[in-house]
Amino acid sequence: MAKFNAMTQEWLDAWKEKIATSAEYKEIAKNWEGSVSIIVNPDPEKGIPEPIYVFTDYWHGDVRDFLICDKAKAESANFVMSGDFARWKQVAKKEVDSTKALMQGKLKLKGDLTYVVRNIKTVNKVIDLLCEIETIWPDEV
Amino acid sequence: MEEGLIENRATDVPFAGILADLLTANLTQRPEKREVFEKMQGAVAIELTDIETAVTLVFAEGKLRIEAGIAGSPEIFIRTTSDRVMDLNALKIVGGLPWYFDEAGRNVLGHLFAGRLKISGMFVHVALLTRLTKIMSVM
Repeated sequence: MAKFNAMTQEWLDAWKEKIATSAEYKEIAKNWEGSVSIIVNPDPEKGIPEPIYVFTDYWHGDVRDFLICDKAKAESANFVMSGDFARWKQVAKKEVDSTKALMQGKLKLKGDLTYVVRNIKTVNKVIDLLCEIETIWPDEV
Repeated sequence: MEEGLIENRATDVPFAGILADLLTANLTQRPEKREVFEKMQGAVAIELTDIETAVTLVFAEGKLRIEAGIAGSPEIFIRTTSDRVMDLNALKIVGGLPWYFDEAGRNVLGHLFAGRLKISGMFVHVALLTRLTKIMSVM
């Protein structure tokens, strides 16, 4: 299986492809509409010298833009999730549940929390599909 | 929503902030929940055992105060884990009561029967628990 460098456009394309080809996702996410940004806080020691901004967009079971972007674009999303690199890595490796990370304040969410809770299966499925990608992490190179 | 309706005194506890945000959004978006909220009297403690976090929701005079930890002697004490507590928010309200006959309801019952979700005081303070479920439900 191909491996992708984390937080790169190729990695995002692979994630988008995983989601787009998942019949289960299509069914679960049929009511979801809206964009979600991920902000990775800088951690020079882990190979993240500057913040990374990721923009992803979902529409009734389809996927639209998946982009590495700038701060303004990231903050324009319906939902903005932010956290340290180490936390995102744990989520992407399924070492930490994203809900648990939110409850602990290790990840932060801006946006309508009631909508997220109503659609928690969609959120979990998107993360599950991310976990399936063979990822090369900058602090492991 | 007017200031002071929900007073979060547990600002150092991220879970308290999530509860405050969720309730604020629910009460703002759904006026029928506001009516229920205003009738609530009593305290409910929620402990998330996996992350060693607890908060107490104190309902009085149409307002809510969120305290860090277990404050006083709450009428209802909910113990579960961080990944399961949101299942309570997924309960539908049908005919004014929590609905346990769909997937979300069966999930909650499953957690209760398996001991993954413990609710002390649920049979004594039925009205408070029902009202809590109504205002917390996002469905």
